[in-house]
Amino acid sequence: MSWSRRSLLAAGGSLAAASATGIAEARVLPKDMVPLIGPGYRAVDPDEKGMWQQMERVEEEVSGSNLLIKDPQLTSYLGDLIGHVGGPAAKDMRIYLARIPEFNAIMFPTGFAVVFSGLLLRMRNEAQLAGVVAHESAHFLRKHQLRQWRDMRRKTDIFSFVAIGAGLAGGVAGVYAGDLVQLGQLGTILSLLKYNRTIEAEADAMGVRLLAEAGYDPMAMSETWEQLIGELDLSAKYRRKRRDRSFTLFETHPSPDSRMADLKISAAEVRQPGKTYDAFRDRYLNALGSIRPTLLDDQVKLNDPGASQYVVETLAKDGWNGLLRFYEGEVWRLRNSSKLGDETRAAQGYAAAVAYPDAPPDAWRWHGIMLLKSGKRLEAHAAFARYLQLAPNAPDAALVRQMMNG
Amino acid sequence: MRRVALALLVSVALSGCVQTRQYADVEFTPPQGDYKLLVMRPDVEVGSVTTGGLVEPRADWTETARTKVMAALRAQQAERGGNVLIMEKRNSLPGVDPEAVAELERLHYAVGSSIALHKYSGAYLPTKRGKGLDWTLGEDAVALGRKTGYDYALFLHAEDSFASTGRVALQVLGIAGCFVGFCAPNIGGAGQFAYASLVDLRTGEVVWFNVLQAGSQVAGIKMGDIRTDAGAAQMVDRLLDRMKPGRNVQRRAQAQ
Repeated sequence: MSWSRRSLLAAGGSLAAASATGIAEARVLPKDMVPLIGPGYRAVDPDEKGMWQQMERVEEEVSGSNLLIKDPQLTSYLGDLIGHVGGPAAKDMRIYLARIPEFNAIMFPTGFAVVFSGLLLRMRNEAQLAGVVAHESAHFLRKHQLRQWRDMRRKTDIFSFVAIGAGLAGGVAGVYAGDLVQLGQLGTILSLLKYNRTIEAEADAMGVRLLAEAGYDPMAMSETWEQLIGELDLSAKYRRKRRDRSFTLFETHPSPDSRMADLKISAAEVRQPGKTYDAFRDRYLNALGSIRPTLLDDQVKLNDPGASQYVVETLAKDGWNGLLRFYEGEVWRLRNSSKLGDETRAAQGYAAAVAYPDAPPDAWRWHGIMLLKSGKRLEAHAAFARYLQLAPNAPDAALVRQMMNG
Repeated sequence: MRRVALALLVSVALSGCVQTRQYADVEFTPPQGDYKLLVMRPDVEVGSVTTGGLVEPRADWTETARTKVMAALRAQQAERGGNVLIMEKRNSLPGVDPEAVAELERLHYAVGSSIALHKYSGAYLPTKRGKGLDWTLGEDAVALGRKTGYDYALFLHAEDSFASTGRVALQVLGIAGCFVGFCAPNIGGAGQFAYASLVDLRTGEVVWFNVLQAGSQVAGIKMGDIRTDAGAAQMVDRLLDRMKPGRNVQRRAQAQ
C-alpha cells in the first residue's frame, strides 16, 4: 500500500478541521483543582531540581533588573496580596513588579511571579488584581511548568521512536515514510499546544477557587477578561483591523472569549449566594499611590489610541477625575489626526481635566497651549500661571514664562 | 555488509569533532608572568539529552562540574604563573558591591552576545574588518580594575550534556536501520559548548575571545566530560591554553 502526499495532506487537513470546529475543549471544574504542593515545598525529582537550579539564576537576574519598580509600599502590598490568595504555598511566593506597559503576568516554577505594570494600570480594584495573582499562584500550586516539561519530554520521546520505527518499517517494506512522519510531527506539536491550553484552563479554574476562598468576588476574573476583550476590539477597530482570532488549535492559551465564558460559569459555582463582596477599590488606589500617572503615561505613549481610550474609559467607570480626563486628552493629542478632529477633542479633555481639583500640572499647561492656539490669550495666561504655581520647578518653566510675556 | 560498516566508520569518525575559534585584539599579548586575573563567577550548566533531543538540566551534575571546572582553572592558571581569584559568588570580592559585579556581568553578556553575532554567527560588520577584536566594556571595567588592582577579568560559560539511555537506544536503532535502507547514523544531540572572554581591566577592552565546541554526531559517544577532574582540565585546556597573540604583535614578531 502506498500513500500519496496529497491524500495524506487532505486527511490531515480534515482531521485538523474536525477537531477545531467539532469538539470544544471541556471546562475544568474548580472543585477538581486541589493544590499539588503544600507550604515550604522544595524540588523533589532530578528534573525538577535541575529546573529549580536554573530558576534560581533567573530570579537573581529578575530581582536585580533595572526594569523593576521598587516602591516599598507597593511591593509590600503585592507581597501581602499573593500571601493572601496564594493558597497553601502563599507564604513561599514572591512578586516582582516590572515597568512594562503590557497586560501580562508570569509565574516561574520556583514560585516567583513577575507582574507587568500594564496589568496594574488596567485593574479597577483589588479584587481584579487578586484574580490575576490567584491565576498565577495556581500555576505554582499545580506544578504546571514541571508537568508541561514532562509532557513535552514524553511526547518528543514517543515521537522520536515512532519516527525511527516508521523509517525502519518503511525501509523494510521499501516505502517512503517521510510524509507519515511529518504528520506525526504536526500531531505532536498540536498535542503540546493542547496541553498548554489545558494548563491555562486549570489555572483559571483554580484561580476562581482561590479568589473565592480568600473572600473576593470570584466574578472579578471574568470582568478582567471582559475588559481585555473590549480593549483588543477597540484597539483593532482603530487600526481598521479585526481582533486577532487565530485558529484555536495553534494557540498556547484558550481564546479570551472562551476563557471569559468558562470563568463566569466557574465563578457562579463557587460564589456564595446572598453574600456581598467588597472589591477594595480604595485600598487598591491607595497602594498604587503616586505611580498611577506613570502607568497612564506609559500606556498613552504606546501609540495604540484604541487600547488607551478603552483603558481610560474603563477606569472612568468608577468615576472621572482630573488625571483620567488629562490622559483622555493626551490620547487624542498624540494620535493627532486632523481629519478626526483630534486637536479639538484633546482641548476638550484638558479643559475637562482642569475642572477637577486633582488635575495634574501638565493638564494646566496643555490647557493653556490649546487656549493660546485658539486665540484666547488672557485665559491661556491664567492657565499658564496656574501651571507655574503647581510646578514652579518644571523643566520648561522659563519657556512658559516667556510664552506669557511674549 | 563490509561496505556499510566502512561507510559508518567513516561517518562516525568525521562526525565527532572538537573545534575552537579565537579572536584577539590586534595588540593582544597573552598574559605572562606575574599578572593578576579575576575570574568572574563561572556559568556552568550540565544536562541530560532526552530521547526526543531536549536538554534536561541536572542540578547535581552542574554542581559537580562547576567545582571541577573551578579547580581545573586554578591549576591551569597556577602553571602560567598568574595570580588568580575565582569569584564563586557575586559578593566574593571584598569591598566591591555585588550589584556592581552584577552590572558588569550583564554588560558583558550584551557585549559577548554582540561578539557572538558579528564574529561567529556570520553577521560580519564591515566597520570591524581587519581590526581583530574591537569591543570594550568601557569605564565600568576600568573602575573595577582600579578599585581591586586586577589586570584582567575572565568571563567563562560552559555547557555539557550527555545522551540518556533512551537517546542511545534511538541511536542504535538509527544505525541498525542502515542495514534495511533507512539510515540515521547521526542522531547526536549531546556535547560541550563553552566560551571564554578576557577583558583587560586597565583599558576596559575585550582583548581575547574563544569559543569551544566539542560534540559527537553519534549519541552515546562522548568528546569530554566536565563532571570529572580529567574532563574539566581538558575543557579548560582546550579553551584557554592556546592563546594566540594579536595580529600586529604576530607581525612584529615575524619581522624580527
